[in-house]
Amino acid sequence: MASNILLSYVHKDSYFHKIDPSTKLLITVLVILLTFILKNYIHIMILLLFIFPIGIKSKVLRMVFRPVSQLFLIFILLFIIQGLFYPLATDKLMDLPFGFTLWKDGLINAANVGSRLLVMMVFGFWFVLTTHPGDLVSSLRKIGLPNALGYIMITTLQMIPRIQSQMKTIIDAQKSRGLETTGNLIKKFKSYLPLLGPLFMGSVQQAVEKSMALEARAFSSDCPKTNYRKTTIHLKDKIIMICAVALSIIGVILSWTL
Amino acid sequence: MDIITYKNFSWRYSGYKGWTLHNINLSIKKGEFIGIIGKIGSGRTTFCSSMLGLIPHFYPGTMQGEIIINGLNVKKSKIADLSKCVGLAFQSPANQLTGAGTTVEEELAFGLQNLGVPYEEMHKRVDDMLNLIGLEKFRKRSPFELSGGQQQKVAIASVLIMNPNILVLDEPTSQLDPLGTEQVFDLIKKLSKTGITIMISTNNVDYLSRFADRIILFDNKIVKIDTPKKILTDINLLKKHSLTHSNITEVSLRLKKMNLSKKELAIDFAELKKEIEEIMK
Repeated sequence: MASNILLSYVHKDSYFHKIDPSTKLLITVLVILLTFILKNYIHIMILLLFIFPIGIKSKVLRMVFRPVSQLFLIFILLFIIQGLFYPLATDKLMDLPFGFTLWKDGLINAANVGSRLLVMMVFGFWFVLTTHPGDLVSSLRKIGLPNALGYIMITTLQMIPRIQSQMKTIIDAQKSRGLETTGNLIKKFKSYLPLLGPLFMGSVQQAVEKSMALEARAFSSDCPKTNYRKTTIHLKDKIIMICAVALSIIGVILSWTL
Repeated sequence: MDIITYKNFSWRYSGYKGWTLHNINLSIKKGEFIGIIGKIGSGRTTFCSSMLGLIPHFYPGTMQGEIIINGLNVKKSKIADLSKCVGLAFQSPANQLTGAGTTVEEELAFGLQNLGVPYEEMHKRVDDMLNLIGLEKFRKRSPFELSGGQQQKVAIASVLIMNPNILVLDEPTSQLDPLGTEQVFDLIKKLSKTGITIMISTNNVDYLSRFADRIILFDNKIVKIDTPKKILTDINLLKKHSLTHSNITEVSLRLKKMNLSKKELAIDFAELKKEIEEIMK
């Protein structure tokens, strides 16, 4: 399955699975903001160290890093392209054959972008792995998330496997009528083109049907909504939130003064 | 008291020439159990959709006449408001699943969330419903991973759980095995005793003959509304509309052909039993 990269909630009995989703969301958002505010890639990589205790406590550490290893190629490409073709480069590191030059500030820029990406990904995956989408929506609704947006958040994750299986059905249907889907790249590309029409039309059709199903269950009714999943912000959530904000502020100050 | 009233209702889908439903006049009392029969393309699904207001609100087309459901004028009401009193189980259960929950229990709870049912009551209703449809084991599974029959049960349950006054079922047993069909019809029969109005579109005449108070025969218009006895023993009428009569009626018919019985055709087991007992005498 191609959905290896796209992770979804994994049920585990851990401390971080039990705390309120909005607490985890705050941590994740803070980390993402920090990756942009902190001074350089060394400071950003220090942030990465935090995932180890958090990941171990959440029992998802290895799962958090699995997708990162799959995207390893992107990181290598990032260093090659930035190192060789950084437009604002002034600081030469060494000359390469065929007239290429490796730029030092290009590499530093790559390290900044790469570390930012890495930290964001790792914390993002941690958030998705430990947070049940139903809990997330239920928690966010309390602080004013519109109903429709909540629905979109939950349903999007479920759409991907459904579209994949639909794609497979269409491919099978076309193959049974003699469509060639093997061969070289161009041939493959050509043979996949006629599959996109039915897939696209099918998705549009499905969206209409879904909206009927939603209306049939009073989706747009005016009465105040309730939640099936209960989430409460406990004292420990508040403590974690305050600690996270405090740590972030200290981190920013240290990063820019030291 | 009439809970459903159709006055000169006609509907034509845009792009089609003929009326899918033409000049429908109908009134249905609270608590009635109505069977809807007719061949494929006779407008049964359109009729079912119109009770929830999907027609005219969701499909482009021309509407004439008016529909009053539970005191609400369908054309002037929001579907969300109609859905509080009308529960419509779609023909294809996969379409009924909203994907608003990642598990069966959340899917069932979705309608209740929208109606603002309190937390404890919501959980109780979900538990009761899962018990009723016998899918307790599957409560944590994704509804999209279930078999067609199980999905159909979830789809019907998702509508039932909202406690509608009127339950409209469009081919509710199309994906069920014989035992599942029996279970669904038993469930529907139980529900009809609680006083809710049931409109069921099915060509399973065996069940209709046992349960329905009245049957409507559709062929883009109402051909006939009458008791199951009158419609389901009219073999020529059924044949003309590509429908068959029940097995019990068939037995009764053969007895008659053999000149063993002169009574009118039987539609249920009790009648057939009486007929056979008389022959045995």
